[in-house]
Amino acid sequence: MATKRFAFVIETERCIDCKACMVSCSVENNVPVGHHRNWVHQIGIKGTFPDVGMSFEPGQCMHCENPPCERVCPVGATYRRDDGLVMVDQDVCIGCKYCIEACPYDARYFNEETGVTDKCTACVHRVYQGEEPACVATCIGGARHFGDINDPNSEVAKLLATNDYYRVYEAAGTEPGVYYIYKGGRKA
Amino acid sequence: MTEFHWNWLIVNYLFLAGISSGAFATSGLANYLGGQKYGTVAKVGAYIAPFPVIIGTSLLLFDLGKPFRFWRLFAGIQWTSPMSIGSWLLSIFIVISLAYLLLWLPKPYSNFVRVPRSPKNIIKLKSWTKLSPGENRRWRLILGAVGLPLSVGVAMYTGVLLGAVPARPFWNTPMVAQLFLFSAMSTGVGAILVISAIMTRHSESYHEKVLLNSVDTVLIVFEIFMIIPFLLHQTLSTWSHKEAVGLIMGGEFTAQFWVGVILIGILMPLSIEIYELWHLVVKKHMPKMRINLGMVSGGLVIFGGLMLRYVFVYAGQVSHFLPHY
Repeated sequence: MATKRFAFVIETERCIDCKACMVSCSVENNVPVGHHRNWVHQIGIKGTFPDVGMSFEPGQCMHCENPPCERVCPVGATYRRDDGLVMVDQDVCIGCKYCIEACPYDARYFNEETGVTDKCTACVHRVYQGEEPACVATCIGGARHFGDINDPNSEVAKLLATNDYYRVYEAAGTEPGVYYIYKGGRKA
Repeated sequence: MTEFHWNWLIVNYLFLAGISSGAFATSGLANYLGGQKYGTVAKVGAYIAPFPVIIGTSLLLFDLGKPFRFWRLFAGIQWTSPMSIGSWLLSIFIVISLAYLLLWLPKPYSNFVRVPRSPKNIIKLKSWTKLSPGENRRWRLILGAVGLPLSVGVAMYTGVLLGAVPARPFWNTPMVAQLFLFSAMSTGVGAILVISAIMTRHSESYHEKVLLNSVDTVLIVFEIFMIIPFLLHQTLSTWSHKEAVGLIMGGEFTAQFWVGVILIGILMPLSIEIYELWHLVVKKHMPKMRINLGMVSGGLVIFGGLMLRYVFVYAGQVSHFLPHY
C-alpha cells in the first residue's frame, strides 16, 4: 500500500475565471484583505478567429514533493506531511520571509496580522472531516479536483490515468503536486 | 506589481555584515604581514569589525515578523538553509571580532582586559589577570587565524543567501556569492581607509597606504571579473535570466547599477587608487593633495557596496522564472 499523496488535479478547460475559488478560500481561511492563497491566471488566447477563447490556469501552493520553501526555512517551520501537504507551523515561524522569496510559484504571502508566513493548507481541517477543500467545493465549472493520487480508486487518480497533464515549472525539480489537464493546449 | 518582502533593512544588513567581514579580514592579514609595519591598518580594522555587523543583525531582527522568536534560529541548525548556517556563522564571527577588539584596545582601556588563569577559579573575578604583551600578540594571531575564514564565510553567506534561491533568476547564479565576497572585502578596506583618515593621530604609514590601495585595487578588479561574466551569463542563459538582467540593462534599476555600482562604486575609486599607487610606487612619495585620497576612494567604495546590495536585493525580487500573468 503506497503512502498517501494528496494532490490537486485541475481541468483548465472547465475554468471560466469566476474566481469563486479565491473568494471561498479567503472566507474559509480568514485570509487578510490584499492577499490570496490561490489565483486564476490568464495564460493565453486559444483557437483562431472567429472561434477563439481564453485559457485559464487556476492554482495555489503546489504542495511540492521537493519544496524550495522547506529547504530554505532556517527554523524548520515549513514542513512536509506524510500525506504530501506542505505546511507552515504558525507557532515556529519567525517571519523572515525567506520562503516567500524561494517559492517559484509565489504561493506564499506574509500575514501582517499574525506576523508569520501563510499559504494554502489544502483546507486540511475540512479534508480530514471528509469534505473537499473550499476552492474545490465551490468550483462551479468543476475544474478543481482534490484527492489522494496514490489511491487508484480516487477521482484524481482516475483523471490522471485517462488524461494528458502537465505540471508548472517542473524543470526546477520541485515535483509539484498540482496537475493540469489540458484539452485546448497550453499556450505559454 | 511586485511586493518587496525584503526591504532596506535587508540591504543594510547584507552591506554592514560585508563591511565587518572585510575589516576583520584586512586587520587579520595586516597583523600577519607585520604587526608593526601595518599596525594602524590592523588596529583600525579591529576597531571597526564588530560594530557594523552588530548593527546589521539588529536591523534584521526588526525585519522579522516575530522578532521575539529569533532565538529559534539558534535552537538548532538546518543544513539546507543558508540563513540558518549564516546565523550561526554571524554569531560566532561577532563573538570572535569582539574578543579580537579587546586585544587591540589602547593603553588605559587595555588594563581592563583580564583573562581567567585556571578553570577552578573561573568564577573568582579577582583571580583573572592581564595578558602579557607576548600573550597579547599571540592571541591576536590566533583570533585572526580563527576569524579570517569566518569573515570570508560571513561575506560569502550574504551572497549565498540570495544565490541559493531557485525562484529568482537575477540571484540564481553562483557568481553572486563571489561578487558579494569581493565587494564585502573591498568595503571593509574602504572603511579602514575612511576611519584611519579621520583618526589623524593614527594616520597610515607609506607602507600601509601601499597595502590598502593595492589590496583594494585587486579586490575591485576581482569584482569586475565577476560582474562581466555575471552580465554575460544572465544575457546568454535562459529567457528568464535575460529578462532578469534586463532590469539593469535598460530596466528600472539601470541607473542605480551603472551609475551607483559601476561608475561611483567601481570605476571612480579604482582610478583614484591606481593614481595614488602610481604616486606611491613609482614616485615613492604620497601625492600632495589637500584632501585625503584614501578617504575619497574608501567612501566611494562603501557607497558602491551599498548600491550593489540595493540593486541585487530589489531587482532580484522583481525577477521571476515564470511569466507574470
